[in-house]
Amino acid sequence: MTTLTPTRATGATTKASHALLAEPPYAVDDEALGAPFEGTGVNGAFVADLLSAALTHERCGTHLYRSVAGRTANPVLRARYEEFGRETERHVELLEDAIAAIGGDPQYVSPIARAVQGMDTSLLESTFRLDGTADVMVREMVMLDAVLLAETTDHANWANLAQLCEDLPDGEVREVLSRAVREVGPQEDEHLRWASDTKAKMTRLQASSPTMAKVGAKAEEMVATVKEWFS
Amino acid sequence: MSFNPLEEAGMPVEDQLRSWSQLDVEPYDKRDVHPHTRTRVILMNGIEVESIIFSHQFHRMTDNLEIMQALALQRRLDQQQQRAVNGLNPGDQSPLETTIGYEQVAVDLTAWLARTEPNPAVKQALDFGLLEDFDHLYRYANLYDLLDGKAAAELTGHLTEITPGRPTVVEHRHPYDDLNGHVSTHTADPLTRLHVMTIVAAEQQTMNYYMNHSSEFVEPIARGLYDEIATIEEQHVTHYGSLIDPLDSWLKQLVFHKYNEVYMYWSMSTDEVDDRIRSIWDLHLEMELGQLQVAADLLRRYEGVEAAEILPPSLPDVPVRFETNKEYVRSVLESQIDLRKDGFDYVDVDDLPDDHRYFEYQAKVNRGGAPSEQVIEQRVGGNGTDVRDESEGEHPVADLRQPAAAG
Repeated sequence: MTTLTPTRATGATTKASHALLAEPPYAVDDEALGAPFEGTGVNGAFVADLLSAALTHERCGTHLYRSVAGRTANPVLRARYEEFGRETERHVELLEDAIAAIGGDPQYVSPIARAVQGMDTSLLESTFRLDGTADVMVREMVMLDAVLLAETTDHANWANLAQLCEDLPDGEVREVLSRAVREVGPQEDEHLRWASDTKAKMTRLQASSPTMAKVGAKAEEMVATVKEWFS
Repeated sequence: MSFNPLEEAGMPVEDQLRSWSQLDVEPYDKRDVHPHTRTRVILMNGIEVESIIFSHQFHRMTDNLEIMQALALQRRLDQQQQRAVNGLNPGDQSPLETTIGYEQVAVDLTAWLARTEPNPAVKQALDFGLLEDFDHLYRYANLYDLLDGKAAAELTGHLTEITPGRPTVVEHRHPYDDLNGHVSTHTADPLTRLHVMTIVAAEQQTMNYYMNHSSEFVEPIARGLYDEIATIEEQHVTHYGSLIDPLDSWLKQLVFHKYNEVYMYWSMSTDEVDDRIRSIWDLHLEMELGQLQVAADLLRRYEGVEAAEILPPSLPDVPVRFETNKEYVRSVLESQIDLRKDGFDYVDVDDLPDDHRYFEYQAKVNRGGAPSEQVIEQRVGGNGTDVRDESEGEHPVADLRQPAAAG
């Protein structure tokens, strides 16, 4: 079973510092983090931190998709958000399995993972925190923007992992990570392509929509318009 | 017995609104109230005030109407709870008598939290603050005797000793040294999170109480003492507030606030000796369970996060308990009286360099004397000795023993 929010109950660990108070056994150090990568020639502690960040982004992505799937007024978008949400949760599983298979800890939350969570939290909050001044079309655009931004980062993360695999020597670490990259890579391509194309379509639809031209259009008219997008 | 608040529906929020007559609770009798019932009332007032203040802050960060409406309703319900709880304090209990209660809260709450705190760094923060609040009780007890000629021990019921702690005059430090590192929201023991939220709420309420009541006194020594100790309480709000991980979203923080209120009402009910007041704790527990459901629903729909992901599978089975902590306080006095803060670190005062900002700050604020020293000087000047209630023997720190007992 995947972990979407690491906590004490799931066995979360982190890197303690002067500013972050964590006690053993919940605090881990660079030596332990780098151990699985010994002999590979890479900075193991850095890669462990990076994998944790990528995993955190997938976890936050799952939350994002759950949220926007529940709030979109458009059935086509909802179906896509639900589909990508399932795939993103599968990415969480793959990364957790890969990290565990190479001897790492999928419950480890690195400093850069904390920063990623901070960014992703702000991104998700931006899709609803200012709803009061956004009509239904704006909300849809903001949610799609959040997906596009999240997928852009996600795509870059997996591209970086693919590059890292190429730099690793032959062996179990390379094999395990490469396997995950091979399964996820095409899906990330599709997520980003879809988000980018859909944003372009939505932009064109609204730019040419007579409903949008009416200042003070009724909310129900707008919802009806949004529901019919892509149909 | 395992108690998972998420599995309890509680009272629906739409049924929680009360009439003025329902909020017109009968105050306790200050002459026969159990001292720890008084402390429970003071603490839960602070918990509700924090909930209200947090909610105000949150709603100013959003224009999402649904979230604003949910917050507005919860805030009004919390405000009614606060009225019902604070209304238990009787009108014939003077602000200074209530203040003695506040400091008994500070001592016995902080000591309990420290004794049961799993994170060593958080325990250290609690121990550090404990000795400072312990001293405040002693200073106010002397003021009470000076102004009213009454014994604070009658209010504390001899359950909490009254004797010097880390002297208030040395507690003043540069604001940078009030800051601490924070716990990790991912790895923190659920109990740690609840402890930190509780102590922040308690210290914040104490700060606000002193800041607002100092001007009600005529006597300069009283006004000065309240102002001086209010400043230390502000230090404590910073000290404990910086232990909270800033990573959590507003909605997660809302869920944590509601969860803590559930935990605290459950705790208060567990030990309450007054049946009438326990029924208020139980009513508010039901209400907070209902409010937790609303917060969890907002988190689910807006952030896609199930509250069960961020909360433990059951409430910690250790309630927050008011009980005597005399031996514990004495042990901390003995071992930590000379500690000071240096940034995030706790160091012996003798290890601070002479040019440390602590000494510069001390020289500035204590120039011309400190009311916390003057109140003792006045009491000793008039009566030959200070007011203490040392039921467990002489003070564990030789320098802080009464002159007659020093030796």
